[in-house]
Amino acid sequence: MIQNAAPRVLRAMYVSTLNLGLPPPPGVFRAALTALRRTSARRFTSNSTPNLTTVPDNRTASARDDRWVALIHAIGARQDRQAFAELFGHFAPRIKSYLQRTGASEAQAEDVAQETMLSVWRKAALFDAASAGVATWIFTIARNSRIDAFRRERRGGAIRVGDAEAEFEIDPTPGAEARLAAGQADARVREALAELSEDQLRVVRMSFFDEIAHSDIARTLQIPLGTVKSRLRLAMKRLRGILDQDL
Amino acid sequence: MSVVHHPDDETLAAFSAGALDLGQRIAVATHLTACAHCRDWVRAMERVGGALLAEAAPAALASDALDRTLARLDEPTPAVAARARTAKDLPSGLPRFVESYRFGGWRWVAPRVSLRPIVLPEASATRVFLLKAPAGVGLLRHDHTGPEMTCVLTGAFRHEGGRYGPGDFDFGDDTVNHEPRVEEGEDCVCLVAMQGDLRWSGWLGRLAQPFLRL
Ligand SMILES: [Zn+2]
Repeated sequence: MIQNAAPRVLRAMYVSTLNLGLPPPPGVFRAALTALRRTSARRFTSNSTPNLTTVPDNRTASARDDRWVALIHAIGARQDRQAFAELFGHFAPRIKSYLQRTGASEAQAEDVAQETMLSVWRKAALFDAASAGVATWIFTIARNSRIDAFRRERRGGAIRVGDAEAEFEIDPTPGAEARLAAGQADARVREALAELSEDQLRVVRMSFFDEIAHSDIARTLQIPLGTVKSRLRLAMKRLRGILDQDL
Repeated sequence: MSVVHHPDDETLAAFSAGALDLGQRIAVATHLTACAHCRDWVRAMERVGGALLAEAAPAALASDALDRTLARLDEPTPAVAARARTAKDLPSGLPRFVESYRFGGWRWVAPRVSLRPIVLPEASATRVFLLKAPAGVGLLRHDHTGPEMTCVLTGAFRHEGGRYGPGDFDFGDDTVNHEPRVEEGEDCVCLVAMQGDLRWSGWLGRLAQPFLRL
């Protein structure tokens, strides 16, 4: 799937700049072209086992990240509805599937996905490309919306808006994480994920996305509980080893 | 004085994923308030969440999902109520959002050990309280029936695992039976998030048991 990603991105970007009142994002085409060259070069050297991981090639992904940043800025600066629609088209279905995996019903997941995208619209002007990538930013909004929605349901609407957000606002003082630009940091994280074995990536994904106990992960994957725990610990250790140097 | 004891990576990942319940989230957030290193890691884990979200398999949306959302774009943004700090005499080191919670009064739970419940705004499987004791006092020897997270706010205690000063994080479950003892110096105040029931050891502990039904 990686090998087709770059042409697809090129085509999608070409079409969307035709449809959109957006200026073509500078450098994006060049980046996608570079990505195309890179991936076609890599296609023959990378291992031939089918890779189930969907972590994309970094050049491709960073071209896409640039596009998303441009969309968010278009929303923040001039309430661009077409930019919003494009972002919605990519993220809303994925937020919904993320929420369903965490145990939300289909109706809840649909509601919270729309609620999340509404927050994206409202907060777009606050988006700071220097501190987080778009996908990361939307992930945190979806996570917080999910927590708020879950509470609202249990307490019959008594929850205040934005409670969960406050619970994750620990300290505005940037630490060492400011050493790397957000785009670079996202790229490093993608690289780190790509370095995990398929099994490790699977438990990381499950523990991140699925609100299920490790014992359920063990049952689903039909491996002993101890294996789930050690696999997750190992995966985290590897991520830590790769990321600690520069994050 | 720097932080030595941190939550493990899986706990920090669960925090970042929003998978901890409120009580445990408070304990981890208390540590994060003091620890830039773990804040960085949480940031990195949020990036993992972002990368996984960006590549997640899409679910089919309702056919009118976009239209319904577009129709709501002009709704006024709901105001977020500012929350004031309500309790007095709070120790330093608490996350800001916790300072706006309601705190119960200090109550005696054992000789020279007192406890102050934090009233959570929602039902949680985890009880959260402050625990305070002066130098030389044992911080209640107990067994666990569920996991317990402790973060030191002021002072320090020591047990088999080492010395725990401000910001240090201690995790206990049914496999440990530590006997923390407060170090010389100022009173030790900890934030404790505890699941399950505590089985206090000894007759004094049993005497204190009813006080801990928060
Ligand atoms: Zn730490």
